[in-house]
Amino acid sequence: MIPIEFFLAFAAILFAIGAYGVITKTNTIIVLMCIELMLNAANINFIAFSGFLGDAMGQVFVIMTISVAAAEVAVGIAILLNAYKIKKTTETDSLTCMRW
Amino acid sequence: MDATIITNIFGEFSAMAPMIIMIIGALLMPALYFTTKKRGVVGGALVAFILVSLAVNVILLLGGYVGTYAGLFQYDAFSGLMILLFQIVAFLVALVCTSSIEVTRLHYGAFASLLLGATTGMMFVATATDLVVIFVGVELTSISSYVLVAMKRNDPRAAEAAVKYVIIGGMSTALTIYGLSMLYGVTGTTNLAEIAVSLSTAGFSWAFGIAMITMIAGYGFKIAAVPFHMWAPDVYEGAPTPVSIFLATGSKKMGLVVFFKIFLIMFVAGASVASFATVEMQYLFAIIAAITMTVGNVVAISQTNIKRMLAYSSIAQAGYILIVMAVMSEYALTGGIFHMFTHVFMKGGAFLIVGALICAGIGEKITDYRGLAKRAPFLAFAMLLFLFSLAGIPPLAGFTSKFVLFSAAIYGGDGATSQWVWLAFIAILNSAISLYYYARVVKAMYIEKGTATDKIKVPKAFLAAIVICVAAVIVLGVFPQIILGPASEAAAALFSLV
Repeated sequence: MIPIEFFLAFAAILFAIGAYGVITKTNTIIVLMCIELMLNAANINFIAFSGFLGDAMGQVFVIMTISVAAAEVAVGIAILLNAYKIKKTTETDSLTCMRW
Repeated sequence: MDATIITNIFGEFSAMAPMIIMIIGALLMPALYFTTKKRGVVGGALVAFILVSLAVNVILLLGGYVGTYAGLFQYDAFSGLMILLFQIVAFLVALVCTSSIEVTRLHYGAFASLLLGATTGMMFVATATDLVVIFVGVELTSISSYVLVAMKRNDPRAAEAAVKYVIIGGMSTALTIYGLSMLYGVTGTTNLAEIAVSLSTAGFSWAFGIAMITMIAGYGFKIAAVPFHMWAPDVYEGAPTPVSIFLATGSKKMGLVVFFKIFLIMFVAGASVASFATVEMQYLFAIIAAITMTVGNVVAISQTNIKRMLAYSSIAQAGYILIVMAVMSEYALTGGIFHMFTHVFMKGGAFLIVGALICAGIGEKITDYRGLAKRAPFLAFAMLLFLFSLAGIPPLAGFTSKFVLFSAAIYGGDGATSQWVWLAFIAILNSAISLYYYARVVKAMYIEKGTATDKIKVPKAFLAAIVICVAAVIVLGVFPQIILGPASEAAAALFSLV
Protein backbone atom coordinates (compact mmCIF):
# COMPACT_ATOMS: atom_id res chain seq x y z
CA MET A 1 0.00 0.00 0.00
CA ILE A 2 1.22 3.49 -0.84
CA PRO A 3 1.95 5.50 2.35
CA ILE A 4 -0.48 8.39 3.00
CA GLU A 5 2.35 10.95 2.93
CA PHE A 6 2.64 10.48 -0.85
CA PHE A 7 -1.00 11.45 -1.37
CA LEU A 8 -0.72 14.43 0.98
CA ALA A 9 2.46 15.69 -0.68
CA PHE A 10 0.87 15.35 -4.14
CA ALA A 11 -2.22 17.24 -2.96
CA ALA A 12 -0.09 19.94 -1.32
CA ILE A 13 1.92 20.44 -4.55
CA LEU A 14 -1.31 20.65 -6.58
CA PHE A 15 -2.73 23.17 -4.10
CA ALA A 16 0.43 25.26 -4.24
CA ILE A 17 0.40 25.30 -8.07
CA GLY A 18 -3.24 26.42 -7.99
CA ALA A 19 -2.56 29.14 -5.41
CA TYR A 20 0.44 30.37 -7.41
CA GLY A 21 -1.72 30.60 -10.53
CA VAL A 22 -4.51 32.50 -8.75
CA ILE A 23 -2.00 35.07 -7.47
CA THR A 24 0.11 35.57 -10.63
CA LYS A 25 -2.19 35.03 -13.65
CA THR A 26 -3.92 38.06 -15.16
CA ASN A 27 -6.50 36.18 -17.27
CA THR A 28 -9.66 35.64 -15.21
CA ILE A 29 -10.50 32.33 -16.97
CA ILE A 30 -7.10 30.87 -16.06
CA VAL A 31 -7.63 32.11 -12.50
CA LEU A 32 -10.90 30.13 -12.38
CA MET A 33 -9.07 27.03 -13.66
CA CYS A 34 -6.43 27.44 -10.95
CA ILE A 35 -9.19 27.58 -8.33
CA GLU A 36 -10.42 24.22 -9.69
CA LEU A 37 -6.91 22.81 -9.16
CA MET A 38 -7.00 23.92 -5.53
CA LEU A 39 -10.44 22.30 -5.03
CA ASN A 40 -9.20 19.05 -6.54
CA ALA A 41 -6.18 19.04 -4.23
CA ALA A 42 -8.62 19.02 -1.31
CA ASN A 43 -10.55 16.18 -2.97
CA ILE A 44 -7.41 14.04 -3.17
CA ASN A 45 -6.79 14.74 0.52
CA PHE A 46 -10.31 13.65 1.40
CA ILE A 47 -10.11 10.42 -0.57
CA ALA A 48 -6.66 9.58 0.84
CA PHE A 49 -7.85 10.15 4.42
CA SER A 50 -11.08 8.29 3.74
CA GLY A 51 -9.19 5.21 2.56
CA PHE A 52 -6.60 5.53 5.29
CA LEU A 53 -9.16 5.87 8.11
CA GLY A 54 -11.65 3.39 6.62
CA ASP A 55 -14.42 6.01 6.96
CA ALA A 56 -16.90 6.75 4.15
CA MET A 57 -17.69 10.35 5.19
CA GLY A 58 -14.66 11.67 3.29
CA GLN A 59 -16.02 10.30 0.01
CA VAL A 60 -19.41 11.89 0.72
CA PHE A 61 -17.57 15.17 1.15
CA VAL A 62 -15.83 14.71 -2.23
CA ILE A 63 -19.17 14.24 -4.03
CA MET A 64 -20.42 17.45 -2.39
CA THR A 65 -17.25 19.32 -3.38
CA ILE A 66 -17.45 18.19 -7.02
CA SER A 67 -21.06 19.34 -7.37
CA VAL A 68 -20.33 22.64 -5.64
CA ALA A 69 -17.29 23.19 -7.89
CA ALA A 70 -19.43 22.53 -10.99
CA ALA A 71 -22.04 25.06 -9.86
CA GLU A 72 -19.35 27.58 -9.04
CA VAL A 73 -17.70 27.28 -12.47
CA ALA A 74 -21.07 27.54 -14.25
CA VAL A 75 -21.88 30.76 -12.41
CA GLY A 76 -18.30 32.02 -12.67
CA ILE A 77 -18.10 31.57 -16.45
CA ALA A 78 -21.49 33.28 -16.90
CA ILE A 79 -20.30 36.25 -14.85
CA LEU A 80 -16.99 36.45 -16.76
CA LEU A 81 -18.91 36.32 -20.06
CA ASN A 82 -21.13 39.19 -18.92
CA ALA A 83 -18.07 41.23 -17.92
CA TYR A 84 -16.45 40.39 -21.28
CA LYS A 85 -19.49 41.76 -23.15
CA ILE A 86 -19.10 45.10 -21.36
CA LYS A 87 -15.30 45.45 -21.19
CA LYS A 88 -14.27 43.38 -24.28
CA THR A 89 -11.42 41.75 -22.31
CA THR A 90 -10.94 39.08 -19.64
CA GLU A 91 -7.76 40.55 -18.13
CA THR A 92 -7.79 41.34 -14.40
CA ASP A 93 -6.05 44.65 -15.17
CA SER A 94 -9.30 45.91 -16.73
CA LEU A 95 -11.15 45.76 -13.40
CA THR A 96 -10.35 49.30 -12.34
CA CYS A 97 -13.76 51.03 -11.94
CA MET A 98 -13.53 50.76 -8.18
CA ARG A 99 -10.43 50.92 -6.04
CA TRP A 100 -9.85 51.75 -2.36
CA MET B 1 -46.74 28.70 22.53
CA ASP B 2 -46.69 25.01 21.76
CA ALA B 3 -44.35 23.56 19.15
CA THR B 4 -46.57 20.48 18.59
CA ILE B 5 -48.56 22.38 15.92
CA ILE B 6 -45.45 22.29 13.75
CA THR B 7 -44.09 18.89 14.78
CA ASN B 8 -47.46 17.27 13.93
CA ILE B 9 -47.20 18.56 10.35
CA PHE B 10 -43.49 18.03 9.67
CA GLY B 11 -42.87 14.91 11.77
CA GLU B 12 -39.20 13.93 11.85
CA PHE B 13 -38.31 16.82 9.52
CA SER B 14 -39.37 19.46 12.10
CA ALA B 15 -35.74 20.51 12.65
CA MET B 16 -35.72 21.62 8.99
CA ALA B 17 -39.28 23.01 8.81
CA PRO B 18 -38.37 26.70 8.20
CA MET B 19 -35.90 25.71 5.45
CA ILE B 20 -38.35 23.35 3.73
CA ILE B 21 -40.81 26.23 3.31
CA MET B 22 -38.10 28.47 1.87
CA ILE B 23 -36.95 25.78 -0.61
CA ILE B 24 -40.52 25.25 -1.85
CA GLY B 25 -40.74 29.01 -2.35
CA ALA B 26 -37.42 29.12 -4.19
CA LEU B 27 -38.60 26.42 -6.62
CA LEU B 28 -42.01 28.05 -7.17
CA MET B 29 -40.85 31.64 -7.83
CA PRO B 30 -39.60 31.26 -11.46
CA ALA B 31 -42.74 29.28 -12.39
CA LEU B 32 -44.93 31.95 -10.82
CA TYR B 33 -43.11 34.66 -12.77
CA PHE B 34 -43.44 32.81 -16.08
CA THR B 35 -47.19 32.20 -15.64
CA THR B 36 -48.21 35.63 -14.35
CA LYS B 37 -45.46 37.94 -15.71
CA LYS B 38 -46.36 40.35 -12.88
CA ARG B 39 -43.69 41.61 -10.48
CA GLY B 40 -46.30 42.47 -7.86
CA VAL B 41 -47.54 38.87 -7.66
CA VAL B 42 -44.02 37.46 -7.32
CA GLY B 43 -43.08 40.13 -4.77
CA GLY B 44 -46.18 39.36 -2.70
CA ALA B 45 -45.55 35.62 -2.83
CA LEU B 46 -41.91 36.17 -1.88
CA VAL B 47 -42.85 38.16 1.24
CA ALA B 48 -45.59 35.63 2.06
CA PHE B 49 -43.20 32.65 1.93
CA ILE B 50 -40.68 34.42 4.18
CA LEU B 51 -43.43 35.38 6.66
CA VAL B 52 -44.80 31.79 6.81
CA SER B 53 -41.28 30.47 7.39
CA LEU B 54 -40.75 33.17 10.03
CA ALA B 55 -43.97 32.21 11.81
CA VAL B 56 -43.01 28.51 11.83
CA ASN B 57 -39.59 29.39 13.23
CA VAL B 58 -41.01 31.67 15.94
CA ILE B 59 -43.47 28.96 17.06
CA LEU B 60 -40.64 26.40 17.27
CA LEU B 61 -38.37 28.88 19.08
CA LEU B 62 -40.98 29.97 21.65
CA GLY B 63 -42.07 26.34 22.15
CA GLY B 64 -38.49 25.53 23.16
CA TYR B 65 -38.29 22.83 20.47
CA VAL B 66 -35.05 20.82 20.26
CA GLY B 67 -34.74 18.26 17.47
CA THR B 68 -32.08 16.59 15.38
CA TYR B 69 -32.12 15.04 11.94
CA ALA B 70 -29.73 12.29 10.73
CA GLY B 71 -26.91 13.61 12.95
CA LEU B 72 -26.44 16.47 10.46
CA PHE B 73 -28.90 19.09 11.73
CA GLN B 74 -29.91 20.23 15.17
CA TYR B 75 -32.59 22.79 15.86
CA ASP B 76 -32.07 24.41 19.28
CA ALA B 77 -32.21 27.87 20.88
CA PHE B 78 -29.05 28.99 19.03
CA SER B 79 -30.12 27.82 15.57
CA GLY B 80 -33.64 29.17 16.09
CA LEU B 81 -32.39 32.64 16.99
CA MET B 82 -29.89 32.74 14.09
CA ILE B 83 -32.57 31.54 11.64
CA LEU B 84 -34.77 34.37 12.93
CA LEU B 85 -31.98 36.85 12.17
CA PHE B 86 -31.56 35.59 8.59
CA GLN B 87 -35.33 35.64 8.05
CA ILE B 88 -35.52 39.26 9.23
CA VAL B 89 -32.78 40.18 6.73
CA ALA B 90 -34.58 38.34 3.91
CA PHE B 91 -37.86 40.00 4.87
CA LEU B 92 -36.39 43.52 4.74
CA VAL B 93 -34.81 42.83 1.32
CA ALA B 94 -37.95 41.15 -0.08
CA LEU B 95 -40.09 44.06 1.10
CA VAL B 96 -38.12 46.70 -0.81
CA CYS B 97 -36.84 44.83 -3.87
CA THR B 98 -40.09 45.21 -5.84
CA SER B 99 -40.02 49.00 -5.55
CA SER B 100 -36.30 49.59 -6.00
CA ILE B 101 -35.42 50.97 -9.43
CA GLU B 102 -32.13 49.06 -9.26
CA VAL B 103 -33.98 45.73 -9.43
CA THR B 104 -36.71 46.59 -11.94
CA ARG B 105 -34.89 45.65 -15.12
CA LEU B 106 -33.86 42.27 -13.77
CA HIS B 107 -35.41 38.91 -14.34
CA TYR B 108 -37.53 39.15 -11.24
CA GLY B 109 -38.41 35.45 -10.81
CA ALA B 110 -34.72 34.57 -10.73
CA PHE B 111 -34.05 37.33 -8.20
CA ALA B 112 -36.76 36.05 -5.85
CA SER B 113 -35.65 32.44 -6.23
CA LEU B 114 -31.99 33.25 -5.57
CA LEU B 115 -32.87 35.39 -2.55
CA LEU B 116 -34.80 32.50 -0.98
CA GLY B 117 -32.04 30.03 -1.91
CA ALA B 118 -29.32 32.18 -0.37
CA THR B 119 -31.35 32.58 2.83
CA THR B 120 -31.90 28.81 2.98
CA GLY B 121 -28.15 28.25 2.83
CA MET B 122 -27.65 30.58 5.80
CA MET B 123 -30.37 28.78 7.75
CA PHE B 124 -28.75 25.39 7.05
CA VAL B 125 -25.46 26.74 8.41
CA ALA B 126 -27.27 27.88 11.57
CA THR B 127 -28.65 24.38 12.23
CA ALA B 128 -25.59 22.38 11.11
CA THR B 129 -23.78 20.00 13.44
CA ASP B 130 -21.58 18.56 10.69
CA LEU B 131 -18.85 20.06 8.51
CA VAL B 132 -20.53 18.80 5.31
CA VAL B 133 -23.70 20.77 6.03
CA ILE B 134 -21.70 23.90 6.92
CA PHE B 135 -19.71 23.64 3.68
CA VAL B 136 -22.74 23.09 1.44
CA GLY B 137 -24.79 25.77 3.22
CA VAL B 138 -22.04 28.37 2.84
CA GLU B 139 -21.65 27.51 -0.85
CA LEU B 140 -25.41 27.66 -1.48
CA THR B 141 -25.40 31.20 -0.09
CA SER B 142 -22.19 32.25 -1.85
CA ILE B 143 -23.09 30.98 -5.33
CA SER B 144 -26.57 32.52 -5.08
CA SER B 145 -25.10 35.85 -4.02
CA TYR B 146 -22.59 35.87 -6.93
CA VAL B 147 -25.57 35.90 -9.28
CA LEU B 148 -27.48 38.44 -7.18
CA VAL B 149 -24.52 40.84 -7.39
CA ALA B 150 -24.26 40.39 -11.18
CA MET B 151 -27.96 41.06 -11.77
CA LYS B 152 -27.57 44.65 -13.04
CA ARG B 153 -26.35 43.23 -16.33
CA ASN B 154 -25.44 46.34 -18.31
CA ASP B 155 -23.77 48.21 -15.47
CA PRO B 156 -19.95 48.01 -15.72
CA ARG B 157 -19.57 48.50 -11.95
CA ALA B 158 -21.89 45.56 -11.18
CA ALA B 159 -20.09 43.34 -13.71
CA GLU B 160 -16.73 44.20 -12.20
CA ALA B 161 -17.99 43.65 -8.64
CA ALA B 162 -19.36 40.24 -9.62
CA VAL B 163 -16.06 39.15 -11.23
CA LYS B 164 -14.12 40.17 -8.14
CA TYR B 165 -16.65 38.47 -5.87
CA VAL B 166 -16.68 35.18 -7.79
CA ILE B 167 -12.87 34.93 -7.94
CA ILE B 168 -12.29 35.86 -4.30
CA GLY B 169 -15.22 33.65 -3.28
CA GLY B 170 -13.86 30.69 -5.24
CA MET B 171 -10.43 31.17 -3.74
CA SER B 172 -11.89 31.24 -0.22
CA THR B 173 -13.90 28.07 -0.96
CA ALA B 174 -10.72 26.30 -2.08
CA LEU B 175 -8.83 27.38 1.05
CA THR B 176 -11.72 26.31 3.28
CA ILE B 177 -12.18 22.89 1.74
CA TYR B 178 -8.44 22.20 1.95
CA GLY B 179 -8.55 23.10 5.65
CA LEU B 180 -11.62 20.94 6.21
CA SER B 181 -9.89 17.98 4.54
CA MET B 182 -6.88 18.38 6.85
CA LEU B 183 -9.15 18.65 9.89
CA TYR B 184 -10.95 15.47 8.77
CA GLY B 185 -7.59 13.73 8.49
CA VAL B 186 -6.49 14.83 11.97
CA THR B 187 -9.73 13.98 13.79
CA GLY B 188 -11.16 11.21 11.57
CA THR B 189 -14.71 12.62 11.68
CA THR B 190 -16.80 15.46 10.28
CA ASN B 191 -19.17 15.78 13.25
CA LEU B 192 -18.50 18.97 15.25
CA ALA B 193 -19.02 17.42 18.70
CA GLU B 194 -16.82 14.40 17.87
CA ILE B 195 -14.13 16.75 16.51
CA ALA B 196 -14.13 18.62 19.85
CA VAL B 197 -13.79 15.36 21.80
CA SER B 198 -11.05 14.10 19.48
CA LEU B 199 -9.06 17.33 19.74
CA SER B 200 -9.20 17.38 23.56
CA THR B 201 -6.76 14.45 23.62
CA ALA B 202 -4.73 15.28 20.50
CA GLY B 203 -1.36 17.02 20.42
CA PHE B 204 -0.09 19.58 17.94
CA SER B 205 0.55 18.35 14.40
CA TRP B 206 1.49 20.25 11.23
CA ALA B 207 -1.70 19.06 9.55
CA PHE B 208 -3.73 20.66 12.34
CA GLY B 209 -1.81 23.94 11.99
CA ILE B 210 -2.40 24.02 8.21
CA ALA B 211 -6.08 23.21 8.77
CA MET B 212 -6.49 26.13 11.18
CA ILE B 213 -4.67 28.65 8.97
CA THR B 214 -6.53 27.77 5.77
CA MET B 215 -9.91 27.63 7.52
CA ILE B 216 -9.45 31.00 9.22
CA ALA B 217 -8.32 32.51 5.91
CA GLY B 218 -11.18 30.91 3.94
CA TYR B 219 -13.96 31.86 6.34
CA GLY B 220 -12.19 35.18 7.05
CA PHE B 221 -12.91 36.08 3.40
CA LYS B 222 -16.62 35.44 4.03
CA ILE B 223 -16.80 37.84 6.99
CA ALA B 224 -14.34 40.27 5.32
CA ALA B 225 -11.86 40.20 8.23
CA VAL B 226 -8.64 42.12 7.55
CA PRO B 227 -6.41 41.12 5.65
CA PHE B 228 -9.08 39.28 3.62
CA HIS B 229 -11.41 42.28 3.24
CA MET B 230 -10.48 43.92 -0.08
CA TRP B 231 -13.44 42.49 -2.01
CA ALA B 232 -16.15 43.78 0.35
CA PRO B 233 -16.22 47.52 -0.45
CA ASP B 234 -16.11 46.88 -4.22
CA VAL B 235 -18.91 44.32 -4.09
CA TYR B 236 -21.16 46.36 -1.78
CA GLU B 237 -20.67 49.43 -3.98
CA GLY B 238 -21.27 47.67 -7.30
CA ALA B 239 -24.23 45.51 -6.27
CA PRO B 240 -27.84 46.75 -6.37
CA THR B 241 -28.55 48.32 -2.94
CA PRO B 242 -31.06 45.62 -1.78
CA VAL B 243 -28.35 43.02 -2.49
CA SER B 244 -25.81 45.14 -0.58
CA ILE B 245 -28.18 45.02 2.41
CA PHE B 246 -28.40 41.26 2.06
CA LEU B 247 -24.62 40.81 1.87
CA ALA B 248 -23.68 43.27 4.61
CA THR B 249 -26.24 42.10 7.15
CA GLY B 250 -26.97 38.48 6.15
CA SER B 251 -24.00 36.92 4.39
CA LYS B 252 -21.51 38.37 6.85
CA LYS B 253 -23.52 37.07 9.82
CA MET B 254 -23.45 33.62 8.24
CA GLY B 255 -19.66 33.73 8.23
CA LEU B 256 -19.69 34.70 11.90
CA VAL B 257 -22.08 31.85 12.72
CA VAL B 258 -19.60 29.49 11.01
CA PHE B 259 -16.83 30.91 13.20
CA PHE B 260 -18.97 30.40 16.33
CA LYS B 261 -20.03 26.89 15.30
CA ILE B 262 -16.65 25.51 14.25
CA PHE B 263 -14.14 27.29 16.45
CA LEU B 264 -16.12 27.81 19.66
CA ILE B 265 -17.27 24.18 19.67
CA MET B 266 -13.80 22.96 18.73
CA PHE B 267 -11.93 24.90 21.38
CA VAL B 268 -14.11 25.56 24.41
CA ALA B 269 -17.51 23.87 24.31
CA GLY B 270 -18.14 21.95 27.51
CA ALA B 271 -16.05 22.58 30.62
CA SER B 272 -14.28 19.22 30.36
CA VAL B 273 -13.45 19.57 26.68
CA ALA B 274 -10.79 22.15 25.84
CA SER B 275 -8.32 21.79 23.03
CA PHE B 276 -4.55 22.06 23.43
CA ALA B 277 -4.35 25.14 21.18
CA THR B 278 -7.09 27.25 22.80
CA VAL B 279 -4.85 30.00 24.21
CA GLU B 280 -2.87 30.42 20.96
CA MET B 281 -6.10 30.63 18.95
CA GLN B 282 -7.52 33.23 21.35
CA TYR B 283 -4.51 35.48 20.78
CA LEU B 284 -4.69 34.95 17.00
CA PHE B 285 -8.38 35.94 16.94
CA ALA B 286 -7.72 38.91 19.25
CA ILE B 287 -5.09 40.25 16.83
CA ILE B 288 -7.39 39.71 13.81
CA ALA B 289 -10.23 41.47 15.66
CA ALA B 290 -8.07 44.46 16.61
CA ILE B 291 -6.64 44.88 13.09
CA THR B 292 -10.05 44.41 11.44
CA MET B 293 -11.81 47.11 13.45
CA THR B 294 -8.91 49.57 13.16
CA VAL B 295 -8.43 49.19 9.39
CA GLY B 296 -12.19 49.31 8.77
CA ASN B 297 -12.66 52.52 10.71
CA VAL B 298 -9.50 54.32 9.54
CA VAL B 299 -10.08 53.63 5.83
CA ALA B 300 -13.77 54.60 6.14
CA ILE B 301 -12.68 58.15 7.05
CA SER B 302 -11.34 58.85 3.55
CA GLN B 303 -14.40 57.52 1.64
CA THR B 304 -16.61 59.84 -0.41
CA ASN B 305 -19.13 57.24 -1.62
CA ILE B 306 -21.65 56.48 1.12
CA LYS B 307 -22.14 52.80 0.15
CA ARG B 308 -18.38 52.32 0.30
CA MET B 309 -18.18 54.09 3.66
CA LEU B 310 -20.92 51.83 5.04
CA ALA B 311 -19.03 48.80 3.66
CA TYR B 312 -15.88 49.76 5.55
CA SER B 313 -17.96 50.41 8.66
CA SER B 314 -19.36 46.87 8.19
CA ILE B 315 -15.81 45.52 8.23
CA ALA B 316 -15.20 47.37 11.50
CA GLN B 317 -18.43 45.99 12.99
CA ALA B 318 -17.35 42.44 12.11
CA GLY B 319 -14.13 43.25 13.98
CA TYR B 320 -16.14 44.14 17.10
CA ILE B 321 -18.06 40.85 16.89
CA LEU B 322 -14.76 38.94 16.52
CA ILE B 323 -14.06 39.93 20.15
CA VAL B 324 -16.28 36.93 20.94
CA MET B 325 -13.72 34.66 19.32
CA ALA B 326 -10.91 36.10 21.45
CA VAL B 327 -12.75 35.98 24.78
CA MET B 328 -14.52 32.65 24.03
CA SER B 329 -16.97 32.90 26.95
CA GLU B 330 -20.71 32.39 27.07
CA TYR B 331 -21.30 35.98 28.13
CA ALA B 332 -19.25 37.27 25.19
CA LEU B 333 -21.28 35.10 22.79
CA THR B 334 -24.47 36.61 24.26
CA GLY B 335 -23.09 40.06 23.49
CA GLY B 336 -22.01 38.93 20.02
CA ILE B 337 -25.48 37.62 19.15
CA PHE B 338 -27.04 40.83 20.51
CA HIS B 339 -24.70 42.96 18.39
CA MET B 340 -25.48 40.86 15.30
CA PHE B 341 -29.18 41.64 15.75
CA THR B 342 -28.69 45.38 16.30
CA HIS B 343 -26.24 45.49 13.37
CA VAL B 344 -28.93 44.08 11.06
CA PHE B 345 -31.28 46.93 11.93
CA MET B 346 -28.83 49.84 11.99
CA LYS B 347 -26.67 48.88 8.98
CA GLY B 348 -29.71 47.52 7.13
CA GLY B 349 -31.58 50.74 7.87
CA ALA B 350 -28.72 52.95 6.67
CA PHE B 351 -28.42 50.97 3.40
CA LEU B 352 -32.25 51.11 3.01
CA ILE B 353 -32.14 54.90 3.13
CA VAL B 354 -29.36 54.95 0.52
CA GLY B 355 -31.48 52.65 -1.67
CA ALA B 356 -34.60 54.78 -1.17
CA LEU B 357 -32.73 57.95 -2.12
CA ILE B 358 -31.29 56.28 -5.25
CA CYS B 359 -34.92 55.60 -6.26
CA ALA B 360 -35.61 59.33 -5.77
CA GLY B 361 -32.69 60.22 -8.07
CA ILE B 362 -30.14 61.20 -5.41
CA GLY B 363 -26.58 59.94 -5.93
CA GLU B 364 -24.33 57.84 -3.72
CA LYS B 365 -21.81 60.59 -2.88
CA ILE B 366 -21.84 62.09 0.61
CA THR B 367 -21.94 65.54 -1.00
CA ASP B 368 -25.26 64.57 -2.67
CA TYR B 369 -26.79 64.42 0.83
CA ARG B 370 -26.34 68.17 1.44
CA GLY B 371 -29.50 69.85 2.73
CA LEU B 372 -31.35 66.54 3.03
CA ALA B 373 -32.90 67.54 6.37
CA LYS B 374 -34.99 70.19 4.58
CA ARG B 375 -35.98 68.00 1.65
CA ALA B 376 -36.79 64.75 3.53
CA PRO B 377 -36.97 65.38 7.29
CA PHE B 378 -37.97 61.83 8.25
CA LEU B 379 -35.30 60.10 6.14
CA ALA B 380 -32.61 62.47 7.42
CA PHE B 381 -33.67 61.87 11.03
CA ALA B 382 -33.76 58.07 10.53
CA MET B 383 -30.29 58.19 8.95
CA LEU B 384 -29.07 60.19 11.97
CA LEU B 385 -30.47 57.54 14.32
CA PHE B 386 -28.85 54.65 12.40
CA LEU B 387 -25.46 56.35 12.14
CA PHE B 388 -25.42 57.37 15.82
CA SER B 389 -26.48 53.84 16.74
CA LEU B 390 -23.58 52.45 14.67
CA ALA B 391 -21.22 54.81 16.49
CA GLY B 392 -22.67 53.66 19.83
CA ILE B 393 -24.50 56.71 21.23
CA PRO B 394 -26.98 55.96 24.06
CA PRO B 395 -29.92 55.24 24.29
CA LEU B 396 -29.84 53.58 20.85
CA ALA B 397 -29.45 49.83 20.27
CA GLY B 398 -25.85 50.11 19.08
CA PHE B 399 -24.75 51.48 22.45
CA THR B 400 -26.43 48.72 24.47
CA SER B 401 -25.10 45.85 22.37
CA LYS B 402 -21.58 47.32 22.26
CA PHE B 403 -21.76 47.76 26.04
CA VAL B 404 -22.55 44.07 26.55
CA LEU B 405 -19.92 42.99 24.01
CA PHE B 406 -17.09 45.16 25.34
CA SER B 407 -17.91 44.45 28.99
CA ALA B 408 -17.49 40.74 28.18
CA ALA B 409 -13.90 41.54 27.21
CA ILE B 410 -13.28 43.49 30.44
CA TYR B 411 -15.08 41.25 32.93
CA GLY B 412 -12.91 38.29 33.92
CA GLY B 413 -15.22 36.66 36.47
CA ASP B 414 -15.36 37.18 40.28
CA GLY B 415 -14.78 40.91 40.03
CA ALA B 416 -11.37 40.52 38.38
CA THR B 417 -10.50 42.18 35.06
CA SER B 418 -9.76 39.83 32.21
CA GLN B 419 -6.63 39.68 30.07
CA TRP B 420 -8.57 41.13 27.12
CA VAL B 421 -8.94 44.65 28.58
CA TRP B 422 -6.57 45.95 25.90
CA LEU B 423 -8.90 44.61 23.22
CA ALA B 424 -11.88 46.41 24.77
CA PHE B 425 -9.73 49.57 24.95
CA ILE B 426 -8.93 49.37 21.21
CA ALA B 427 -12.62 48.75 20.44
CA ILE B 428 -13.73 51.80 22.43
CA LEU B 429 -11.04 53.93 20.78
CA ASN B 430 -12.33 52.71 17.41
CA SER B 431 -15.89 53.71 18.29
CA ALA B 432 -14.61 57.23 18.85
CA ILE B 433 -12.88 57.23 15.44
CA SER B 434 -16.05 55.95 13.77
CA LEU B 435 -18.09 58.84 15.17
CA TYR B 436 -15.98 61.19 13.01
CA TYR B 437 -17.04 59.80 9.64
CA TYR B 438 -20.64 59.16 10.69
CA ALA B 439 -20.88 62.75 11.89
CA ARG B 440 -19.64 63.94 8.48
CA VAL B 441 -22.79 62.54 6.85
CA VAL B 442 -24.94 64.11 9.57
CA LYS B 443 -23.19 67.44 8.99
CA ALA B 444 -23.90 67.21 5.24
CA MET B 445 -27.57 66.45 5.91
CA TYR B 446 -28.28 69.02 8.63
CA ILE B 447 -25.77 71.89 8.41
CA GLU B 448 -24.55 72.21 4.82
CA LYS B 449 -26.88 73.82 2.27
CA GLY B 450 -27.88 71.93 -0.87
CA THR B 451 -28.70 73.35 -4.29
CA ALA B 452 -32.12 71.67 -4.70
CA THR B 453 -34.94 72.43 -2.26
CA ASP B 454 -37.88 70.35 -3.58
CA LYS B 455 -39.37 67.63 -1.35
CA ILE B 456 -38.23 64.04 -1.93
CA LYS B 457 -40.77 61.26 -2.51
CA VAL B 458 -39.63 57.67 -1.90
CA PRO B 459 -41.52 54.36 -2.46
CA LYS B 460 -43.86 53.32 0.38
CA ALA B 461 -42.25 49.87 0.78
CA PHE B 462 -38.92 51.54 1.59
CA LEU B 463 -40.62 53.77 4.16
CA ALA B 464 -42.24 50.74 5.82
CA ALA B 465 -38.90 48.90 6.04
CA ILE B 466 -37.16 52.01 7.40
CA VAL B 467 -39.88 52.48 10.05
CA ILE B 468 -39.37 48.85 11.16
CA CYS B 469 -35.63 49.46 11.50
CA VAL B 470 -36.09 52.76 13.40
CA ALA B 471 -38.52 51.09 15.81
CA ALA B 472 -36.13 48.16 16.35
CA VAL B 473 -33.11 50.42 16.93
CA ILE B 474 -34.97 52.42 19.59
CA VAL B 475 -36.79 49.49 21.27
CA LEU B 476 -33.70 47.25 21.46
CA GLY B 477 -31.76 50.18 22.92
CA VAL B 478 -34.29 50.97 25.65
CA PHE B 479 -35.45 47.41 26.41
CA PRO B 480 -32.41 45.22 25.69
CA GLN B 481 -33.83 42.35 27.79
CA ILE B 482 -36.15 41.47 24.83
CA ILE B 483 -33.17 40.06 22.96
CA LEU B 484 -30.68 39.50 25.82
CA GLY B 485 -32.78 36.70 27.36
CA PRO B 486 -33.05 34.61 24.15
CA ALA B 487 -29.42 35.46 23.28
CA SER B 488 -28.07 34.08 26.56
CA GLU B 489 -30.22 30.95 26.11
CA ALA B 490 -28.80 30.59 22.59
CA ALA B 491 -25.23 30.98 23.85
CA ALA B 492 -25.84 28.32 26.49
CA ALA B 493 -27.31 26.01 23.83
CA LEU B 494 -24.23 26.37 21.59
CA PHE B 495 -21.86 25.71 24.48
CA SER B 496 -23.77 22.58 25.51
CA LEU B 497 -23.66 21.05 22.00
CA VAL B 498 -20.80 18.69 22.94
